[in-house]
Amino acid sequence: MSPSELPAGDEPSSDFLNDYFAECDEHLMGVRRLLLRLEQSIGRGDINTSVLDELFRHFHSLKGISGMVELRPAEELSHRAEDYLRALRRHDVRLSPEGVNALFDATQLFEQVVNARRSGGVIPAIDAAVATIAGLVSARPADLAAPVPGAPAGAPLTPHWRFLFAPSRELVGRGIRVDLIRTRLTALGEIIHAAPHVTDSGMIAFEFIVATGADAETIAALQQDGVTAERLPDASVVSDPAAAVDPEWPAVGEPSPVAGSVAPSHVVRVDLTRLDDLMRNVGDLVISRARLGETLARIESHVPAGEWRAVQENALVIDRQLRTLREAIMRVRLVPIGEIFRRMPFVVRDLARETGKRVRLQLQGQSTEIDKFLIERMMDPVLHLVRNAVSHGIETADERVAAGKRPEATITLSASTAGEIVTLEVADDGRGIDVEAVRSRAAGAGLDPATAGDAAGLLELLCAPGFSTRDESDRASGRGVGMAVVKSTVEELGGVLRMETAAGAGTRFIVELPVTLAITDALIAKVGAETFAAPQAAVREVIAVPLSAIRALEQNEITPYRGGVLPLVRLSRLFGLADAARDTLHVLVVGTGGSALGLAVDRVVGQREIVVRAATDPLVKVAGISGATDLGDGRVVLIIDPAALARQMRGRPAGVVDGIAGGGGR
Amino acid sequence: MRKILIVDDSTTIRKMVRASLRQLDDAEFVEAASGLAAIEQIALGPVALIVLDLNMPDMHGMDVLKFVRGHRASKDVPVMVLTTRGDDSSRDTALAAGATLYFTKPFTPPVLLAGAKDLLSGVGPQA
Amino acid sequence: MTDGQQAADRFILFTVAGTTYAVHSHDVHHMEMIEEVTRVPNAPPFVDGVVFSRGHVIPVVNLRARFGFERVPHTLRTRLVVVQAAAGRIVGLIADEAREFVVLPAHAIQPPHDTLAGLSGRYLQGIASVGDRMILVLNLERVLDFGAIAAAGEPPVADAASA
Repeated sequence: MSPSELPAGDEPSSDFLNDYFAECDEHLMGVRRLLLRLEQSIGRGDINTSVLDELFRHFHSLKGISGMVELRPAEELSHRAEDYLRALRRHDVRLSPEGVNALFDATQLFEQVVNARRSGGVIPAIDAAVATIAGLVSARPADLAAPVPGAPAGAPLTPHWRFLFAPSRELVGRGIRVDLIRTRLTALGEIIHAAPHVTDSGMIAFEFIVATGADAETIAALQQDGVTAERLPDASVVSDPAAAVDPEWPAVGEPSPVAGSVAPSHVVRVDLTRLDDLMRNVGDLVISRARLGETLARIESHVPAGEWRAVQENALVIDRQLRTLREAIMRVRLVPIGEIFRRMPFVVRDLARETGKRVRLQLQGQSTEIDKFLIERMMDPVLHLVRNAVSHGIETADERVAAGKRPEATITLSASTAGEIVTLEVADDGRGIDVEAVRSRAAGAGLDPATAGDAAGLLELLCAPGFSTRDESDRASGRGVGMAVVKSTVEELGGVLRMETAAGAGTRFIVELPVTLAITDALIAKVGAETFAAPQAAVREVIAVPLSAIRALEQNEITPYRGGVLPLVRLSRLFGLADAARDTLHVLVVGTGGSALGLAVDRVVGQREIVVRAATDPLVKVAGISGATDLGDGRVVLIIDPAALARQMRGRPAGVVDGIAGGGGR
Repeated sequence: MRKILIVDDSTTIRKMVRASLRQLDDAEFVEAASGLAAIEQIALGPVALIVLDLNMPDMHGMDVLKFVRGHRASKDVPVMVLTTRGDDSSRDTALAAGATLYFTKPFTPPVLLAGAKDLLSGVGPQA
Repeated sequence: MTDGQQAADRFILFTVAGTTYAVHSHDVHHMEMIEEVTRVPNAPPFVDGVVFSRGHVIPVVNLRARFGFERVPHTLRTRLVVVQAAAGRIVGLIADEAREFVVLPAHAIQPPHDTLAGLSGRYLQGIASVGDRMILVLNLERVLDFGAIAAAGEPPVADAASA
C-alpha cells in the first residue's frame, strides 16, 4: 500500500521528518522538566495529577507522530511510557524511584532513537527499557488510596477576571486570533477556564477566566483586540488540600516567608516591607517632633510672645498631621486574609493523612482585607482551630458513612467584611461538640459543668485555662496553642469569639474582629501591684530618680531636671494604690517646658504595641485614664492619659489630689 | 472554494493530512492547532470538511465535535475524526457524538483521501 | 398565658448575701464566670473595676458592696451577670450565685413597702413571692446610677451604715 502523496515505505519525506524532529524536541523538553518535578514527589502517596496528565499527553503525542513517520522504536517507547503514566494516574501502581528512573531512561533512549534517525545512524535496541517499564506496570497493586484531585485552581489571592473574545475577519487580518489572545492572557496570569461561548445573538466567542493581578490599564488595553473584560466577585474557590504538593510551595510549619519565595501575590510582599519602613519613619517623626517640642520649650523665653504663639500653633498642626498620617498608614496596612488561608491546604492534607480521615478544604473570601497586625496574630489561632477540626471534629470515613454522611468531610474557612467588622469562620461538618464529654472534663478540671448549658457556656469551658491538658493541645496543634490562647488572642485584638455546634452535624467557630485597629506604642509600667500603659508618644523620656534627689516644695515634690525643675506626681498616690517602698523612682516625663511633669511609677517593664479599647461607661470614667487594653492574658490594663493628668495638676491648688481618696478594694 | 479545516496539535500530523488531501478539487486548507482555534475558524466562515484529532491538550476533540454539532453554522459539516490506536471507546463515543468517519492514527493517506472525497461529494454516512 | 407574655415575664434570679434578686431576662446579655478584675483608681467604691467581656471593656459592680454588705472572695459559683442598661451601657454585676430563670407575672410583683423606702428601697422595682421565697426585683437604672446618687449628696458608703 503505497501512499500516493507520501513517499513509499519507511521514508517519509524530509519535510515531514524535520517537523517531526522539531516537535519531538519540544515535547522532550517538556518531559524532562516534568520528570524532575515528578522525582520530587517520590515516596509521597499522592502526586500532582496535572504533572502526570501533562507527561501523559506529551508521550501520547510522541507516540502519535512517531507512528505517522513510522519510527517504530520511538512509537513503542512512548507507548510504554504512556501505559506506566496511565497506571500511575489510576493508582494501579505507586510512584517509586525505580519508576522515575525507568521514565528517565526511556526518555533518554527515545532521544537516542530519534537522533539516530536524524543522523542516519544505528537505532539502539529498546527491548530492555520496554521490559523494565512493562515490569513496573504489572507491579504490586495499589496500597494507597489517597484522594488525588487536580491542582489548586488559580492563586487564591489574585482577582479573577472574565474575558470574552469575539473573533472576526478584521482581527484575523491584523493577526489577532484566539490562540494569540490565549497566549497573552497566560502572560497576565493563570487561565482557570477557557471555552467557546455562544452569545445571545448566536455568534461564537471565547470565554476565559483568568486569575491575574494585572492592573486595570493592562486589562483595558486588550479591548482594542476584541477582548472585553469583567472583574468577577470572589466566589468560593474550592482548593483541595489532598491535591497539593507543588514542590515550590512552602512546607507546613515554616514561618511565612518574606521575600525570595514563591508568593501568590508579589505586590503584597513588596508593600508590606515598605509599609514597615513607612511605619518606622512615622515613628521616628513622632520622636523627632517630641524632641523639637523640648527644644522649643527651652527657647520659649527667648521668643517674643506673639511669635511664640505662632510657633505653638505650628507645633500643634504638625502633631495633628502626624496623627492623621499614622492613622492613614494604619489603614494601608490592610492585607488580604488569603495570607492566613494559604497554608491551610497543606496543614489539612497532612493531618488528614496522619489521622486517616478524608477531608476537603473550602476557602472563601481570601481577598477580604484585614490589618496586617491581625494577620500575624491570627495565624496561629486559625491554625489551631483548623487542626482541632480535623483532629477532633471530623469523624473517620467509616464513621461518616455509618452516619449517612459523605465519607469526605468538608472544612470551610471563610472571611467577609461588614462595615467595620471582619468575620472569620472555621466550620466543619463533623460530629459536633460532645457536650457530655465537655461537662465531665469540666468537672474534673474544677470548673462548673453547668456552664455547658448553651453554646456560649460550652465555648467558655473549652477556652478555660486548665480545660485541655498540655499534652492534648500539643498533639492537636504541635505548639501548645490551646483554645484559651485562641480566645485571649481574639479578645486582645478587640474581637469576639463565638461558637455554634450541633451534634452529628458539625461545629462552627466565628471570630469577629475590627477591620482597623487603634494601635499605639505604649510603655508598660507597674504601679504597686497594678499594671498601666502609657502612650509612648506622650512620654518625652523615662528617667530614674533616686529618692535623695527629691525635694519637697509646699505640697509638691520636685526634682532637678535639665537645668530646671520637674514637678513629680506619684501615680501610686494619685490612684490610691499602695506606695511601694523603693529608693529609686522611675519617672515618665510628660508635657513640655512649663507644663512638663514627671509621673512616678515603680518601674517600667517594657514597651510594645497595644490595641486601644474604649472604656466609656460613666462608672469608670475617671480623670487620667483614657482607655484600656489587653496585654495578652485577658486582663484589662488601663491606659493612662498623661496629658490629662498634667492638665489636672496644673489646674488645681498645690498638693490636692483629685478624685475620691481610698478607692474600692477587693 | 471549499474550506477544509485540519485540527491537530501536532504540526507534523497537520502537514501530513494536508499532503494526503492535496488531490481534492477546489480545496482550500486551513489549519488549527487547538480546539479554540478550530472553533474560531468556524466562526470566521463556512467550512466544508473538518479533519479532527481527538487528543488535544487545551480542549478535547470530543468537546469540539459537540460544539460543532450544536452550532447552527456547523451542524451539518462532515467531520473525520482521528483517534489513536487502541482507543476503541473514543471511537464509539465520537461516532455517537456525531462524527461522520473515523480513522486511527497512524492513518493511511490514500484511505484518508478516499474518505474525504466521499464526504465532499455527498456520498457515505451523513452527519 | 401566651408565649409572648411569658417572655415578658421571664426573670433571671441571682443571690447576693443570701437574698434573691431578679432582673428582666431581656436586660441580661449573658452570664459568665468572673476572672481578673482590673481596679480602676478613683472609681466609686462599689465598682470593683473593669473586665473584658465578649470583646468589650465593661465596669464591674460589686452588688454586695452596692447593697451594703461586706465583700467576700469569689467562689466557683460567683457569677458576673452582664446586663444592658439604658443608652447602650453594658455593665457587669457580681452575684454570689446566678442560676435560675423564673416567670413572674406582673400581678405577682408588689411595689416595695414604704418601710423599705430609703436607700435600699430605691433599688427595687418591686417584691415577689414564689412559694415561701421572697424575690426582690431590681431597678437596674437605679442600681447603676451613680451620678444621681452622688448628686443627691449621699455618698454610697453611707449605705453600709444605714443597712
